[in-house]
Amino acid sequence: QRIEIQKLRQGENLILGFSIGGGIDQDPGQNPFSEDKSDKGIYVTRITPGGPAEDADLRIGDKIMQVNGWDMTMVTHDQARKKLTKKNEDVVRLLITRKSLEEA
Amino acid sequence: MEDYDVRSAASILASVKEQEERFEQLTRALEEERRNVTLQLERANLPPNPAISQPLAWQQVVMQEQSPGNATSLAMMQEPQEPQEVVEETVTIEEDPGTPTSHVSVVTSDDGTTRRTETKDMSTNVKVTKMVKTVTTRTVRQVPLGPDGLPLPEGSSPLSSYTDSIDRRYMKNGGERFITPQATSTLTRAYNNSYNDSYVETPESQYIRHYGLHDGYADLTDNYGSLSRGVNFRPPRYPYMPNSYRPENSYTLPIRKDDYGHVAQPQVPMGSSTVDLNRSQPERFQPEPYGLEDDRRSLGPEEEEPYELEPDYSTANRRILPGTNRGRTHREPLRDVHRVRGYPDDPIEAELIDERHPYIHGMYSAPLAQPERGSMASLDRMAGRRSPSIDSIRKDPRWRDPDLPEVIAMLGHPIDPVKSNAAAYLQHLCYENDKIKKDVRQLKGIPVLVSLLDHPKSEVHRKACGALRNISYGKDNENKVAIKNCDGIPALIRLLRKTNDMEVRELITGTLWNLSSYEPLKMVIINHGLQTMTNEVIIPHSGWEHEPNEDSKPRDAEWTTVFKNTSGCLRNVSSDGAEARRRLRECDGLVDALLHALQSAVGKKDMDNKSVENCVCIMRNLSYHVHKEVPGAERFQDPSALQAPGSAGPQRKKKDDAGCFGGKKAKEEWFNQGRKNGENDKNYDTLDLPKRTEPSKGFELLYQPEVVRLYLSLLTESQNYNTLEAAAGALQNLSAGQWTWSNYIRATVRKEKGLPILVELLRSDSDKVVRAVAIALRNLSIDRRNKDLIGSYAMRDLVSNLPSGQQRPAKNLEEDTVVAILNTIHEIVTDSSENARSLIQAQAIEKLVAINRTSQSARETKAASHVLQTVWSYKELRNALTKDGWNKSHFQPTVTATPKATKNGKPGYDDTTLPLMEKNQDGYSTIDQRDKDCKYKTDDGSADLTEREPLKNDTNRKHYIRSNRPAVSLVDACDVKPQPVDSWV
Repeated sequence: QRIEIQKLRQGENLILGFSIGGGIDQDPGQNPFSEDKSDKGIYVTRITPGGPAEDADLRIGDKIMQVNGWDMTMVTHDQARKKLTKKNEDVVRLLITRKSLEEA
Repeated sequence: MEDYDVRSAASILASVKEQEERFEQLTRALEEERRNVTLQLERANLPPNPAISQPLAWQQVVMQEQSPGNATSLAMMQEPQEPQEVVEETVTIEEDPGTPTSHVSVVTSDDGTTRRTETKDMSTNVKVTKMVKTVTTRTVRQVPLGPDGLPLPEGSSPLSSYTDSIDRRYMKNGGERFITPQATSTLTRAYNNSYNDSYVETPESQYIRHYGLHDGYADLTDNYGSLSRGVNFRPPRYPYMPNSYRPENSYTLPIRKDDYGHVAQPQVPMGSSTVDLNRSQPERFQPEPYGLEDDRRSLGPEEEEPYELEPDYSTANRRILPGTNRGRTHREPLRDVHRVRGYPDDPIEAELIDERHPYIHGMYSAPLAQPERGSMASLDRMAGRRSPSIDSIRKDPRWRDPDLPEVIAMLGHPIDPVKSNAAAYLQHLCYENDKIKKDVRQLKGIPVLVSLLDHPKSEVHRKACGALRNISYGKDNENKVAIKNCDGIPALIRLLRKTNDMEVRELITGTLWNLSSYEPLKMVIINHGLQTMTNEVIIPHSGWEHEPNEDSKPRDAEWTTVFKNTSGCLRNVSSDGAEARRRLRECDGLVDALLHALQSAVGKKDMDNKSVENCVCIMRNLSYHVHKEVPGAERFQDPSALQAPGSAGPQRKKKDDAGCFGGKKAKEEWFNQGRKNGENDKNYDTLDLPKRTEPSKGFELLYQPEVVRLYLSLLTESQNYNTLEAAAGALQNLSAGQWTWSNYIRATVRKEKGLPILVELLRSDSDKVVRAVAIALRNLSIDRRNKDLIGSYAMRDLVSNLPSGQQRPAKNLEEDTVVAILNTIHEIVTDSSENARSLIQAQAIEKLVAINRTSQSARETKAASHVLQTVWSYKELRNALTKDGWNKSHFQPTVTATPKATKNGKPGYDDTTLPLMEKNQDGYSTIDQRDKDCKYKTDDGSADLTEREPLKNDTNRKHYIRSNRPAVSLVDACDVKPQPVDSWV
């Protein structure tokens, strides 16, 4: 539960260098990161090595709670994707939760 | 391999030159022989035919792959096909060995041998495989030797030494293939290719396969379906090969043959020598691959020659490949190839890739070798091929797979076999690869493929059709639109009209089926192809005859793949609204043929297959709104219904229906206890039913009471949920509405003892079936007598399908189904306090209250509250209700705490206060529509993945597809399926 800031890098497009899975329109049973297999939140599923997300210390399995203040716990997969890929922003602020952080 | 080459190379080089000279002579001689042989080849062609059938099998396999959506059907097809393929493989294998034994120098003899071998192969596949292995080893040896050049003069012995090492490798590979072809299909495939190549003149074979030479493509195609071709050619070639091999006759006779033989079977020193010559300078030889083109050409004009040359080599290889692959995993081979290509790791793959490359070059650079040259070219090629193979072995970087633009460019190649091979390769590439499909579209490959549909050569339009079929499959509707935009649909229909080739017809109809899953294309297909598909496929395969001969027995429907594909296509297009339904209903002979086919299915008790499912779905769709859309329907409208749409309908019927149904007693037998009034019993049969002076035909058949028995038979016998759902849906559609025929249908269902059948199906595990049956029961209960019977006997089953409170029952029905059941219950209890009482006795009130208060679904809540209000409206029941602890608040939506309930309260009131009729009507139309929609979707889904997608998310869809597919495809399926949706940001 802590805020991380990521800068977008310019490729041909703005990229964050990670991929997300989940969303309320997805089958939570397929989410390998949620504990009870019923969490329909947005999770980080993959991170590009050397990408901005990795630089910002985002980890695979992180659950994204907010994007720039937008709630990400009850959104569809596509909504989350759009929030993360707005062209006119070059910084994305994420509120994420991580199991290891919770335990600490 | 490399080691060999290195060792032998030095020593061989010297000898090679001499050999080359010989080789040239031989090649010349071979050309002459080939000419002679061509005649023989014609004969030989016959033998190939059996092989062709096998190829067909391959193609079919491909088809299956192509149409994952049709997975079920595909699966079915594959099974039969596989055996065929195996046979072919075996045949080819046998031939090789057989030929050596026969040692027939004469071409004709060769042909004969080939044929013989084939038969033998059939009998003993195992042996054949062994033979093949040996052969392969030989070829391998030759190839390496060839390049080395050493073995040539000495012939087999030296070669053998060389080959030994090579052989081992190959053998190992071969062994692997044979042993576990399935396990490592890709590897096996690669091996196979390499083997094949290696066998005969590895290079050549490889070239052929990979590159598009006929052989090469054939190999690929084999995988795809082109195999047939390859196979065909091969058989003739084999014979040649053997002859040449053994006898070194080739020397005496046509040198070429020898060469071929050598090529085909490395064993001959001569061949090896020749090979060596060529090989010795692999680079030079590569040009020879151009020669391959010739072969291709030759194929076109003179199939014999080119075939012979390449066939020998290629055949062995191909055959082996196909055989191994086919026998075990049809699809995998293709994929394997891809994979192989994709993976540079495998040496074989690398080889293949290399070879292909040259191929391409050959094609492009040397567009056409002249036919004459063809023979020479073939020799050259052989040499070249060998060299390439060697090269490939050496991992010469020059060889590579043609990339997509190159393949598409090859579609416009002047040489027909190049076209067909390119198309087959495309088909292979596109299989299950949406990206490639998209790329093909963006590279403008689709118009080219479509234009090839009108190509006179069956080989070409078949392969083009196969590629289109794969491209048209999938959720990417852009591809479908692209096919339509270049007039692909009329072209397909034209070809369907023109061709008699079953395989091509399957491809066409499969493509159309895929196309039909996209909404905007449905009317296009109807406009262009409806009558053609009906006349060319549906009617002939249904067994129906316009004017039945008294002499001939009525024919049964044949569940061919063509029929299945076509009916699936029509099933999809039949969901495209009123206009589509009208067109299909009025299509001459369509309804008649479909009904005949279904009756035949019932007669044969064979009604679980996909074709039956498709037919029933079409019938169901055509039955939808039949009471509004059929010409002249107004005449049959029930005037009373128009006046008093609501509850008056049933009541009025009671009064109005004076006629007595002869079969009344029969109906009563089952449900007679339930009947309360004699009046209710009255049937509407006697209403204004038009007297039929002649048997009805066309769309009239849709709603004739005779169909009720058909649907009930299907409901009784079929195990296919989709068929059950569609049959119930058909009854639902027919029993909806207020026209004479629906009255009659409702009575007929009862008379045919259909109610218990339907009630039984309420216990089905399939959500869709339960829903369709529930709605059918609701519509049937418009008939007063049916309502009483259903209320008495179906209530418990209906209630048991309802969720109880928070906990869903084991069945976990979807919202639509629950709503449908609630609506049915509502219809049943309306106007019938008896039925309301039985509802209470079924312990339904508790469930209804729970749904009303706690359901997450507004629709469920609303429907439940309607029922509760209706029940409460029976004052005579209130005592019993209060005794059970219920009070008015439980039955009043407004009172409940749930906001949803309040919202819905008013409509609910309206329903209760107003005559039920309105609700009923509402119910009819909405339910029907909803149901229809659902049905369409499901139908489409099953028919075509694309359609299905809207309903379910990708993962589900993929699962579905995979599950349907044959085991072979499972590997790929697994790959695709596991990935849940995730997107990069």
